[in-house]
Order: sequence, then structure tokens, then C-alpha cells
Amino acid sequence: MYLAAHPAVAAIRDWHADLTAIRQQLHREPELGFEEHKTSALVIRELERAGVDEIHRGIGKTGVVGVIRGRSIDSGRTIGLRADMDALPMQEGNDFAHRSCVPGMMHGCGHDGHTTMLIAAARYLAATRRFDGTVHLIFQPGEEGFAGAQAMIDDGLFVRFPCDQVYAMHNWPGLPPGTAAVRPGPMMAAADKVTIRIDGRGGHGAHPHLSVDPVVVAAHLITAAQSIVARNVPPLQSAVVSLCALSAGHPGAFSVIPATATLTGTVRTFSDAVQQTIQSRLEQLAHRIAEGFGATAHVDYERIYPATINSEAEALFAQRVATEVFGAEHVVTDLEPSMGSEDFAFMLRVRPGAYFRIGQGGAGQGRMLHNAHYDFNDAILPQGGALFAALAERSMPLASPAGT
Amino acid sequence: MQLAEGVLELQGEIQAIRRDIHAHPELRFEEHRTAALVADKLRAWGYTVTTGIGGTGLVATLRRGNGNRAIGLRADMDALPLQEHNDFAHKSRHAGKMHACGHDGHVAMLLAGARYLVQHGRFDGTVHLIFQPGEEGGAGARKMIEDGLFDRFHCDAVFGAHNWPGMAVGQFGVNPGPMMGSSNEFEITITGKGAHAALPHNGVDPVLVATHVVQALQSVITRNKKPIDAAVLSVTEIHAGDATNIIPDSATIRGTVRTFSIPVLDLIEERMRQIAEQLPTAFGASGSLNFIRNYPPTINDAEQTAFAASVMAEIVGEENVVNPIEPTMGSEDFSFMLLERPGCYFFIGNGDGKHRDAGHGLGPCMLHNPSYDFNDELIPIGATIWTRLVERFLASDSTAKAS
Repeated sequence: MYLAAHPAVAAIRDWHADLTAIRQQLHREPELGFEEHKTSALVIRELERAGVDEIHRGIGKTGVVGVIRGRSIDSGRTIGLRADMDALPMQEGNDFAHRSCVPGMMHGCGHDGHTTMLIAAARYLAATRRFDGTVHLIFQPGEEGFAGAQAMIDDGLFVRFPCDQVYAMHNWPGLPPGTAAVRPGPMMAAADKVTIRIDGRGGHGAHPHLSVDPVVVAAHLITAAQSIVARNVPPLQSAVVSLCALSAGHPGAFSVIPATATLTGTVRTFSDAVQQTIQSRLEQLAHRIAEGFGATAHVDYERIYPATINSEAEALFAQRVATEVFGAEHVVTDLEPSMGSEDFAFMLRVRPGAYFRIGQGGAGQGRMLHNAHYDFNDAILPQGGALFAALAERSMPLASPAGT
Repeated sequence: MQLAEGVLELQGEIQAIRRDIHAHPELRFEEHRTAALVADKLRAWGYTVTTGIGGTGLVATLRRGNGNRAIGLRADMDALPLQEHNDFAHKSRHAGKMHACGHDGHVAMLLAGARYLVQHGRFDGTVHLIFQPGEEGGAGARKMIEDGLFDRFHCDAVFGAHNWPGMAVGQFGVNPGPMMGSSNEFEITITGKGAHAALPHNGVDPVLVATHVVQALQSVITRNKKPIDAAVLSVTEIHAGDATNIIPDSATIRGTVRTFSIPVLDLIEERMRQIAEQLPTAFGASGSLNFIRNYPPTINDAEQTAFAASVMAEIVGEENVVNPIEPTMGSEDFSFMLLERPGCYFFIGNGDGKHRDAGHGLGPCMLHNPSYDFNDELIPIGATIWTRLVERFLASDSTAKAS
């Protein structure tokens, strides 16, 4: 299937069966954010086996950092390679042998694969060390809504383990195996959570004039919220406001006007200015529309993940390296950004770097991310591992490529 | 800035023509005086001129050498139905008409390029200078095409430019891909049932239905269109009734839609039709949509844009070529020519308005503003870009050596 003859791919392919076993082991025992105890223990065991120089645990709770020094470290260069480790609170729909052993928990986003690809790179880099500098292997907890990347940064990640640049990748079911995609600028959107509580005055459904109906206010607010993207955001800026949940009253109480209604939704943006515009407009609409009906509104606006923005130079470097591993015709350089989000964004806020998509297929069969029938494609383990390794080798080349 | 050598000698002559055209604005398809002036000059300079293409449009042709390649350069000639606020010497002589979009300057820049090409141009092939009527809502470009423009005057590529207020003089702006939006208008008619305003239960209120339709139209942009795709849907008019005590029979909603691609436009029109026809029936009314596509999106060819941008960089330096520039939701009928031929449409910085003569209006020097005036400093820059595009596009081995 793979045509590229990159030496790292060839080397890692020798361990393909073993790496597949590791990946499937991780898949069997999924753990949620900041509970990745078994997972990080496995990572530590594998890093020891690979022969890395240092292993540091407990960074950002369950995070792990491995250190590999090159044949030389005279260049003073450093690179961070990051994989996420956590699973999702969802019931797996697969019934193959390596399906989740934990009810209601599943590696439905392929972080088991990300972790294994970084283990593969660790093995290769520790064995060959054909670089001049230091590699920091960052195994992070809690990507799925827990901001594990920020937790590691707050715990001194980049102070203790300096990184000139950072790279990460996500498997992508919409791209075929043997491909990668990376570009400068926006890759994933900022994700915010908004909760709006409307306080009216409850009453008897037969006597609405004695109450202030929060359900009517909520309906007006949902309709008015459409004006933000349609009328306030500049048309060339991409943004989403989705009010996804509306809760008011009790289905068993058909004649009770409730006292409150609650709306919950998400806002997705690529720029701070647009994000601020949307937050301000949502707050103004909620407060003023509620007041117009004699109700009050309480808006809780929470910024979960910032936008994932690849820095220009590092993204172009990443394209070159991907071309070496995958072949030029298999590297997508003009991909459309996704409105999904990713907490690697926190690392890209403080360090230059790039976030890849690595093709794994499956979208055609409905095996999308966060789908109960999803599974990471073990066929891409060698190329993913090689991509991580090549980023390290290419960003910190040896003065003379001895031994190659 | 690397202006074509000696181009500044043309300034006096061409500036006088520009100001004469400014003083005598003509609306779409009435550009008789302008076209005659342009044709006379070009004939006098040695061009073969064909008039009456798409009404008042004309093409001036110059051939050199034996080359088979041909390039089309286009300028628009029409003015706007607007009362000028400027009071300088070359202000409009015609009440309610004004060159407020700088088409007078577009004509002047292309004439300057034409004059320079005749005197100094080194190229091997054919140049067609296309002076088109009715850009402002008249689809003059389409009229010329329907009149056989590209059959009669073969062009391997076409180029057009617009002066761009707010961008510094000496800068160019261009984007490989969308440059300007598609322009479309719509009218939704809602038919209910009139009644006495005190007895609403006897009627079907089209005003209430209209407000629901306007709300629902917002969802086309926020819920149906992919967030990455840019589009605008603006309801700009609602008309219903003319008395406080009568529920009218019908209501009318009008507005505009802008997109950068035809598929997005198709999606929007389809969703609008569904809302316009179905939603009123929920209230017992009926609705219909009349959707009119005016100008398609102006989409530059990547290869010709890279070529044009390299020529711009030779003139003003790469740092003064804004590429890619953010596309604008305005529209432009050069889009019709770009649907027929590969090519590139670009902006030429017109400055911030300080160039205007004493007595100019108090408003900003922006397009379609009654205080606007084209910046005559652009004449040599325009002449240089047109000349260099021709010389590079129609370069032959011998001309390359000669230069």
C-alpha cells in the first residue's frame, strides 16, 4: 500500500506487529481524561523498553514526558512531539477481539493510535539518534474537554522541557491511509460553551398573564441568535453559533409554565476578534430580549479551547517533511480548516509548530471520529511514527550525517 | 517604483482626457461621447478600431510581429446616476450623473497604456483593448460577449483592473481565486388575505408572515451554508400596506445575495425557495420567490494571476503587491469575461483622497461617493502595468533579446 521508502518507515515497519498489539491493548482499556493511569504506565514501560534517556511522570496529573538526546546536543535545538492518551465516555459498538473492556468507555477518537505512533517514534529515535539536539516526547492527558495540554503547560512543561517547536497529529477518517494534510494558519476552531438561563415567573398554564413565560423568551432568543453569524460577523470570517439544547419545564407537567428555561450551545471561531464579537452579541441579546419580556437572563460564557493555528514557517517545514514520508502527491497542502477543536491549540499558543491530519480512511463506511463503530487503523502506525521521527531528524540535523 | 521609461511625458495629455471624461459622464449604454473620444484617439495613434460592440463598446487592435498569441485588456466607460458634490474645474457638467467609480480613470489608464505601446511597445502578437459599456448594473461585458467579442477578437487571456480607494498609490491587490462576489437580487411576495385591522381573524396577515420569513432566511446563512464558505443574504426592503387600520393583502420582501461560488449560490437559492414557498402556507398564506442572478463571482485564474502578480512586483516591488488580498463582497461584470477566458482582475491603490483638487466635496474619496475623484497619479502606473503585461505576455525570443 505504501510507496514511500523513507528509512524510518522501513525501520518501524519491522515492529508493526508489536506496535499493533500495543495499540489494541490500549484500545481494550480506555481511560477518561486525567484518569489515564494504566495508559501512562504502559507508556512509561514502552519508553523504558525503547531506551529513552529520561522519563518524567505526573506532569499535568497523568501526563508523561520522555527525553531522547541525539548523538550530539551541541546545536542546543529542541523539539516537542505530542500525543494525547484519553478515551471518550461512550459505549463501543464494535465486537472485535480488542473492543473496549470498560462499559461506557471507548477510544472513539483514536488517541490509542496517537499514543502508539509516538511510542514508535521513540523506539526509532532512541535506537538511531541521528539528530543534533533533544527530543521531548509529550504524552498528554485529557484532550477530550479537559484541557490536558494546558494542565501540562501550567505544570511547567515548556520550562522543564524547552521546545523550540511542537508538533502533533490527528488521524483523519476522511483522508485515505497513506496521506497527510497540513497548512499554515487555522487548522481547527476555537470552541466555547455558552449556557443561558432565562428566569421568568412560573405559573398556571391556563393563566399566562399572571406569569412571565421563559419558554417564549427562549424561542425569541434562539431566533435572534441567528442574526449574529448572519448579520454581525464579517462574511469572510468563519463562525458557528449552535444552540444545541433547550430545557424548560417538565414533560409530565403539561399545565405548568416553568420559572426558568436553559439554553446550552457552542460557539466556533478562528479569530479572537470574532470570538469577542459573538460573546458580546450573545450577552446583549440574552439580557435585552429577556428584559423586553420582563424576564432576566444569566449568561455563562466559557472559552474551552482556543483556535488551533499553525505557525507559517513550521507548517511549511512540516509539509516538506510529510512529503519525504508520504510522497508529494499524498500531502494535502490546501485543506479546509475544520470547525472541530483540539487542545493542542494551547501548545501552539505558546510555541511555534504545526498540527497534522494523518489519513486513516473509514469515513466512507461511517467510521467517523466519536462514532461507536470507529477504530484506529493500525496500517498507518509505521508512517505516523516515521513522520514524528522525521520531524525530529529534519529539524535538528547532524552536522555531518555520519552513520546514515 | 519602476515606471515605464518616458511614461510621465504622457501625463499632461492623458490627464486632460481623464478630466474631460469626468466632466462629461454618461450612463450605461449611453457612452456615445466617451466611446467616440476613445475611438478617435486610438485611430489617430494607429490602432484598428471596431465600434458598436454590445451597444457603445469598442475594441482597438494593435498587431506586431508574427506571433499568434493575443491578449485582451479591458476598461469600463460608464458613469453613475449620482449628483456630484465636488466643485472643482472638472466637475460633472451633467446634473445627476457622475464618474463616482473611477471608470473615467480606467479609460485614461488604458489610453495611456495604448499610447505608450504604440510608441515604445516591444511585443510579438496581438493586443485587443476592450472598452466596455454599462458595467454599473448593465452587464455590458456580457452584452459585448453576446455580440461576439471573443469570437471576433480572439484573446488567450484577459485582464481588468479597478482603482481601489484606501489602498496606497503604488500598491496593487490581487487574489488567485475569488476577487469579488456574485451579485443577485430577490423578491419574495407573500399573499395573505386582507381584513379590517380590528378583525384580524377574518384575514390572513401577510405582515406577520413576512417577519417570520425574514427570520427564517437567517437560517440559510447560519445553518445550511458551510461555515468556511463566505456568503451574504441581506433583506433590504419590506413593503406592505399603507393604512393603520387595514391588514393588507400582500407583503413584499426584497434583498440581495452575495457568494464567491456558484454551488453556494445554488444552495442558497434552493433553500430560499423552500422557505418562501412553504413557510407562508403554515399561516394559510402563499409565497413565491423571484430570484435574479445579476453578476457571477469574479474568479481569477491561478496561472494568469501568478503571471500578473510577477509583473506587478517588477513595477512596485513584491512588498507592494497585496497577494492574496481579501476578496470583497462587491461585484463586477468583468466576471463574465473571466467565465469565458482565463485572466486576472486586480486592484490599483487610489490613495486616501488627499489628491483631490480644492473644492472637492466633504465626503470621503470612496467609490460611489459624491465626493470621490479618480487619482491622476495612477495614469503612469496604469500605463506601465498594461504595457508590461502585454510585453511579457507577448514576449518573443527576439523581443526578449531586444529588451
